[in-house]
This record gives sequence, C-alpha cells and structure tokens, in this order.
Amino acid sequence: MSRRIAVLVFPGTNSEDETWRLLRDCGGDAHLVHWSRASTLPLYDAYVLPGGFAYEDRIRAGAIAAHDAMMDHVIAGAEQGKLVLGVCNGAQILLEAGLVPGTGGIRRPTAAFTRNAPAPHFVCAHVYVKLAVDPVRSAITAALPRDAVFPAWCANAEGRLAASAEHLQELRAGDHVAFVYAHRDGSVDDSATPNQSALGAAGLVNREGNVLAIMPHPERDAWTFNHPDRRRGDAMLATSGGDVFFRSFIEALTHS
Amino acid sequence: MRRSNKGHQVLRPDERERIRERLGREPSTVETHAFDAQWSEHCSYKSSRHQLKRLPTSGSAVVLGPAEDSGILHLGEFKGERYGIVIAHESHNHPSQVVPFEGAATGIGGIVRDVLCMGAQVIAVADPLRFGAIEDPRSHQRYVAQGVVDGIAAYGNAIGVPNIAGDVYFDERFDENCLVNVVAMGIVKEAEIIHSYAPEGADGWDIVLVGKATDPSGFGGASFSSLTLDAADEDANKGAVQVPDPFLKSVIMRASYRVFAYLREQGLTVGFKDLGAGGVMGCSAEIVAAGGYGARIDLDAVNVAVEGMPPEVIAVGETQERLLWVVPPAVTAELLRIYNEEFTLPQIAYNARAVKIGTVTAEKRYVLTYRGATVMDVDVEFLTGSIRDELPVNELATPQTPSERPLVTGVQLDELMERVLAHPDVCSREPLYRRYDSVVRGCTVIPRGAAAGVLAPVPGSPLGVALGVAGNPRYSHVDVRAAAEHAVYEAVRKVVATGARPIGLTDCLNFGNPRDIDHYSEFVAAIDGLARAAERFQTPFVSGNVSLYNESAGGRAIPASPIVACVGAFSDIETVVTMPFKAAGSMLYLIGNPQSALGGSVLLEVLGRSDERLPRIDYETILAQHVLMYEAAQARLLRSAHAVGNGGLLTAICEMAFPTLRRGHTQVGAQVDDSWQWTHGAVGDLEACFGEAGGFVVEVAADDVEAFEGLADDVAGVYEIGVTIDRPLLAVDDEAFDLHRLRDMWHAPLREVYP
Repeated sequence: MSRRIAVLVFPGTNSEDETWRLLRDCGGDAHLVHWSRASTLPLYDAYVLPGGFAYEDRIRAGAIAAHDAMMDHVIAGAEQGKLVLGVCNGAQILLEAGLVPGTGGIRRPTAAFTRNAPAPHFVCAHVYVKLAVDPVRSAITAALPRDAVFPAWCANAEGRLAASAEHLQELRAGDHVAFVYAHRDGSVDDSATPNQSALGAAGLVNREGNVLAIMPHPERDAWTFNHPDRRRGDAMLATSGGDVFFRSFIEALTHS
Repeated sequence: MRRSNKGHQVLRPDERERIRERLGREPSTVETHAFDAQWSEHCSYKSSRHQLKRLPTSGSAVVLGPAEDSGILHLGEFKGERYGIVIAHESHNHPSQVVPFEGAATGIGGIVRDVLCMGAQVIAVADPLRFGAIEDPRSHQRYVAQGVVDGIAAYGNAIGVPNIAGDVYFDERFDENCLVNVVAMGIVKEAEIIHSYAPEGADGWDIVLVGKATDPSGFGGASFSSLTLDAADEDANKGAVQVPDPFLKSVIMRASYRVFAYLREQGLTVGFKDLGAGGVMGCSAEIVAAGGYGARIDLDAVNVAVEGMPPEVIAVGETQERLLWVVPPAVTAELLRIYNEEFTLPQIAYNARAVKIGTVTAEKRYVLTYRGATVMDVDVEFLTGSIRDELPVNELATPQTPSERPLVTGVQLDELMERVLAHPDVCSREPLYRRYDSVVRGCTVIPRGAAAGVLAPVPGSPLGVALGVAGNPRYSHVDVRAAAEHAVYEAVRKVVATGARPIGLTDCLNFGNPRDIDHYSEFVAAIDGLARAAERFQTPFVSGNVSLYNESAGGRAIPASPIVACVGAFSDIETVVTMPFKAAGSMLYLIGNPQSALGGSVLLEVLGRSDERLPRIDYETILAQHVLMYEAAQARLLRSAHAVGNGGLLTAICEMAFPTLRRGHTQVGAQVDDSWQWTHGAVGDLEACFGEAGGFVVEVAADDVEAFEGLADDVAGVYEIGVTIDRPLLAVDDEAFDLHRLRDMWHAPLREVYP
C-alpha cells in the first residue's frame, strides 16, 4: 500500500502547490490538507510543512502556527516515528513547536530561525546546501550521498539560526545541524551563508532523525529551467538537483 | 470617522447640474458620493478614454482587449488546451507618496484582484518605480523609496506571487509625487475565462460580496487619485488610503481558485469582478451595467467592521481585499460554504466573509437600500456610462536638431566607466529586488536581475512567458512623443533579449493635471507615440491604466511618464536565452545601430551636458534585428544575450560579466575592439560605448559563428565587436578594467539605501 503524505496548508501558507507537485513528481502519494480538515491528518503516514507566512508570521515566524490544531496531529505523528519535513516557514514552525531540535521538549523551543543579519530584511538568493551529517543520521537523508550538495533558493526574512551558546553546543554535540550553506563546489565558509545563520546552518534534524527542518527551498530549484547555473544543452524539463532531497524523503517513506 | 466623512469631492458645478437635471431632484448624499466616485477621472477616464481609443488593441494573439479588469493574450497550446496570459497594469502613486508602505502594498493587492477575477491563477507581478532624488538620508523621498519597496515586498512575498520584472529611476522631479506602477500577470485556460459582467440570463441572480469587512478606510479614494496632492491636507489624504491585508488576500485567492474548480465542474458561466474605485457601488453597478442589467443592493447585508457607518461610506468606501460575484441563486450556498467554512474567512480577519448583498434586475436601475429606505435610485447607464471631457491641446514644440559632431570630453574612459556604472539609473538594483521573492511557485526561469523575467507557467509543459517593463523619464524630458515610442521599443527589446516572441503590451500613463493645457498635450502626444510604436511592432495594448493629476500642490508636474510592459511568448522554454556570459572564447556581436544622438542618455547626465536629439527608431531595421534574435534563439545559437539600455553598450557587457564573478563560477570577461574599427567611424567612440540607441549584445560560440552569420547576412546593424576572455577584465581597445572593481562600484550606491 502506498504511503500517503499530507502537505499541510495553514492560513498564509503559499508554497503548497509546488511542494505537492514535486512530491508527486518524485513518486510520492501527496495530498494537500487545509486547516479546516485538520482532523483527517492522523490518516496520513508523513507530513510536509511547506513555505509561506502561516498566520502572517505574527509574533515570530511559526509562533502561532506551532499552536494550530494541525500541529497536535503532527506532534503525535512525530512521536510515533512518522516522517515530518518542514521547508522554510514549515521549518520555522517545527522549531517553534519544539519538534526540532527537540532538546527542550514539545513547544519549548531551544533554537529559532529568526531575523536575518546583518540587515533584518527578506533575502531572495540562490544558494547551495550541503549535507553536514552522516546520511544515515536521519532516515530522510539516508538516500543522499555523503557530503551531498544541492541547489536551492533562499527566500525568507527570518532564516538565521539563533540559540544560546549552550544550546548551540548541544546542536553540535548532538549532530543536529543536518545541512549547512555551501558554495557551488561544496566548499564551506562564512561567505556562503546569506544571513549569518549560526553554525552556517541551513537545516536541523531532531535526535531521532525523523523530523527535519530546512530553510532554503530545494523545490524551487528542482528543474533545469529553475536553475540559474544551468548549462547549454541541459534539457529544461529535466531535474536540476533540488529534487534529490525530496527523492530521499520519498525513499525513506517507502522503506519505513 | 469624521475625517473619513469629509472625504474628497471632485464633481464640478457643471457636472452637479447635469446630475440634478437628469434626476429631476437634488441627489441624495449617497448619490452625490456615488457620482463623485464614478465620474472621477479614475473611474470614468473622462478626459482620456477617447484618446486611448487611438491605441491599437487587436491582433492575432488578442483573446480579450481592454474592456474588462484585465486583458488576455494567447500564449500557446498544451495537451489540447489553449492557455492565455492575463495582464493588468495599475498605479498607486498618490497613496504611496503619503503612506509609502501601505500605498505600495495596496497597489499590488488591487492589481492582483484584477487578474484573479478573470478566473486566472496569479503567476507574477512586476513594478516600475519612479522615485525622487534620494541622496539625503533624512528626506521624505528617501523614506518613500524605502517604504514603497518594503510594502511591495511585504505584500507580494506574503501572497506567494513572484516579482519577476521591474525598473526604477531616480529624479528630483518625482520628489513630491513618486510613481508606483504595478503589473500583474495570470494564467488561464481560455475556455475557463470568467468575465467582469453579468452574463446572459442573469436577471434575478445573486450578487455576492466576498472579503474583508467594509470599514471607513479608503473613503474617497477614487476622488483622491483624481486630485493633485496637497501637503496641508495630509490627514484627509491618509484617510483615503486603504489598509492592505495580504494574509486575508492569500486565503481569498486560494478559496477563489477552489470556487473556479467548482464552477468548472458545474459548467457555469458567471460574473466576477474586483472592488476597486467606488467600492461596493462602483463594482456592482459596473458588473451589472456591462451585462445590460440593473441591481438592487441592500447595504445592511454588507459585512462591516464597525457599526453605525453612514450608508455612503458602506456604498463607496474602498476597503481592500474584496471581490464580487454574480451567480445563479442555486450555487450561492456552495460559494458561501467554500469561503466561509472551508477557507474559514470569518476566522482569518474580523467579520471577513462571503455574503449575498443583492440581486441583478432586468430593469436598468441602480438601487441601494439602507435600513428599509431607498438611498439611491438612478439609471445605471447614466451612472456608469461614458462621460467625456473635451480638453484643449497644444502642439508641442518639436525639438531642434543641432548638427551632428562627435562628443569631445577630455574625460578618461576609466573615469566615465565608473561614473556611468554608479549612476542612480544604472547601478545594481539587487539590493532592492533581493527583498522580493522572485521564485515562489517554482515556475521561475529568469528571476529579477535580467532585462526581462521569464516563467514556465504551465507545470509540465514547455510553454514560457516573458515580461519586461520600460519608460525612461530622462527621455520624456526631451521629447514626450519619442519617449513614448522608446518606452514601447525598450519593453519589446527587453523581452526579445530573452529569445521570446513579443505578443502584446499593457501601459500605465502617468501625467500631470489634464486641465493644464501643456500637461494634457503631453498626454495626447504620448498616445501618438505609443500608437505608432505598437503598430509597427505589431504588439497591441490589451489593458492599461491612466494616472493623471501627478503633481504637487505647488503645481510642479512629474516628468511625463508613459510606462509600458511587454509580454513575450515561448512555445518551448528550451530556447530561453539568459544574460550572464557562459564561456571564454565566444564571439560578441552588437545587434543594433549606434547613433550619435545622445539626448536623454546617462552619459550626458554624467558629463552635465544636454542634447536635444533622442536616438531615432528605425522600425524596419529594428524589426529585422528582432527577427534575427528570435531565429538565432530558436536555432540555439545564442549563449547569452542582453538588451542595451541605460548606460549603453559597455554597461550591458558589464552586466553580462558580473554574474560570472560569483564564487564557484567560471569568471568570464570581455575584450571589446576599438569601436572605430567596427562602426567604421560612423559615430564617435563614446557614443558607441555609452549611447542608448538600443539593440542587443549577444554571445555566440566559435562553432556557431558561421551559422549565426548566415542568419545575420541580410540584417543591417550586426557588428562583431569582440570576444569573451577567461579573465575578470573588461578590455576596451588597449585599456583594461578590473571587473571586480567595476562590480563593486556598480553595486554600492543602492546598498546604502537598501541595506
């Protein structure tokens, strides 16, 4: 039986269509679930929280959505070991819900994706993301090659990881920083990070490895036509790299 | 509340008399406000409509010309379905000058509804901006320039519509009246277009209002935009600006997409229209009148944010985020269920909802009731029909043509290069457009930063659409008619630079007070220019907007600003050409004719000189060059291409090289030959390097040179100008400039304004 994925739509979510489409294109049985249908969420095997501005990012990005009724089901599912993936605003919601990194407990966040720096503004920029943990650290990344680098678009105003020194140490020690910003050639330095994110972090994973939060949008660089560094002769409707992340997610779901 | 009640009234005594005569009585308060809005320039186009009729509006790609909220152009077919591009253009100038953030945000909000109500998915926005001189960090114009960009970002990013094109100019003549134009684009299956009129057989149908609870904001907005700005009246002006709610809009858009799907299942033809100027009254009167009907509206049924608002505020207030449906009564319940229950509008914003407010009537009366009493009862065609102002026109002075002689400056090329690249109209726009989401929806092929943006709007299909905008205020200063022609040429050129086939245009015409003969004459001259260029390029106008009264209280008008957006089509996005250089060892060509005329150029402004001659537009030659661009793109012979515009040829080459300087990329520079060699002395070297006569720079791989030159054989104005090199240098003849250094100079000026 195919494993069903719910793509959650909160009021203010805006990237649900392309996320849903790509999951389907990668072979996933994905369905959009709007907030008024929250009660159907237990019927799904995995949850994807797409980008946007859930509840208008009031207070802080993700702060209100983390308390939405939909999140009760996501939290219950995560505790049962279901796979949960958050992209951009979805990632912010997972951190606010305390699911990632999860070291403080539910709805007790120990880190946040917050206002970009040096200027506290929205940044739309093309980036590369590098896998910074052993692929098997998380079921969701298990099908990626070691040190995998893939393209994505950063598009947020609150994408900078911030936490206390103590909690940052916890993230390092627990191998929670799943993805860092990198250059196209895979090299990593401060200039690769568009927003001064702590530890150069682009994505975090929980201890169990079944909940993953990533700030840049790999789904916006899934096809050659999306990819700014495409070469002449690359077929426009062929995949460009961002899709590998979602393929790994589907792979994990199929084998879980 | 008191402030709002005051509003702005613009009806003239002769217009009041006409209304009194027709009604046979004194108009009621509600009627006075209704006519005030409906007969404002903003709604009635009374002094512009007959002029706009001179623009070409038909052609093989036109699905819907300028008659409804948006125009529609045929994009192409995929899997047996015909797809149309919905396009609309609007200004939000006065509100943005008063409250920049909210003013600019509501500009996006309004234009998005114009596209949505055609039954389309909204796929892109673009924004042409004209700001004042912003050097002084404490000036109001700097505050405007920052607030407008933040407003556009806040609204567009939140609703999830990518911003893919735009331009920005800085000129002190915009200090007291900025221009914030906005273009929105949508995609629709041509079989599923929804029109902005009550369809045949609509007698007795329901009129359903959807959206934000009506409040006193935006009362008098239509009239406000038809007045000149008076600083002393600032408070009343602020009351006329609407309050944007992108969060609610995001949900309304998605709920409306769901309603579209439901209507398709039912196979129903209905009417759908955006509430803009004139509020509930303006929208409902226009949607029924356009179908040949009247309406009865119960103002007590309108969902309101505060109790006790007078009926005229409920009727004509311009609260944002509202739309209006005309549907058969049998589907009303399902419509309300989708908006109110499935998408929970009442929980998204206070008292937001879909609600039935009235009925379509066969009798062509427009009747409003409030607390059981009739507060308005007029002939709907008299209310919405075209009123017309005949205004006097002057023949504009024809610019003198001085003798042509090469420019001698004594200024070194390296210094000029730096000053041109750092000029406010040339320097990098990245600090500004980085704040816009250019890639949401996952369909972006070319995001902001190139001459035009490109999308693949139909998932899984090879169809593509390009969007470019233009309108150079430095040109209109010299010659308005020619500037309008250049606006069309530049918009078309930007689209052609991506390999697209230009298929149509939309315009926003920003001018001063039409009751000043000189300003109105400029408007009429601009229409001449637009019409001529659009005819020659065979790109009809399918929608547009007129914004008059752009001047300060002191009577200082803005530079005449005809702003044009061009839509281009790709049957296959495999032929899209991008701007950045791809490899060293390619041949560089200029497709375009350098001219000695430098009027309106950045170069002259940098040198503090003037020239009364704008570059000529030789349509026949240019059309052949555009065909060459298209054929070369189709044959995949162009590695990269860029349109020559502000800052001229060397600026275009720099812009093609700069993206290659990023870490992890192969740096590509250029060696440009002495222009004397390739122009054979037809123009001076500064004119060749920095002139703004148009054209394209293209990069052709050595292996493709023969094929390219074969295509170019009979085309005038194709010059081999140099090669790409594997070092980060721009070499011009025997001088070489460090591209990293040039990039930093180009990037710095706006970074200070948009950190």
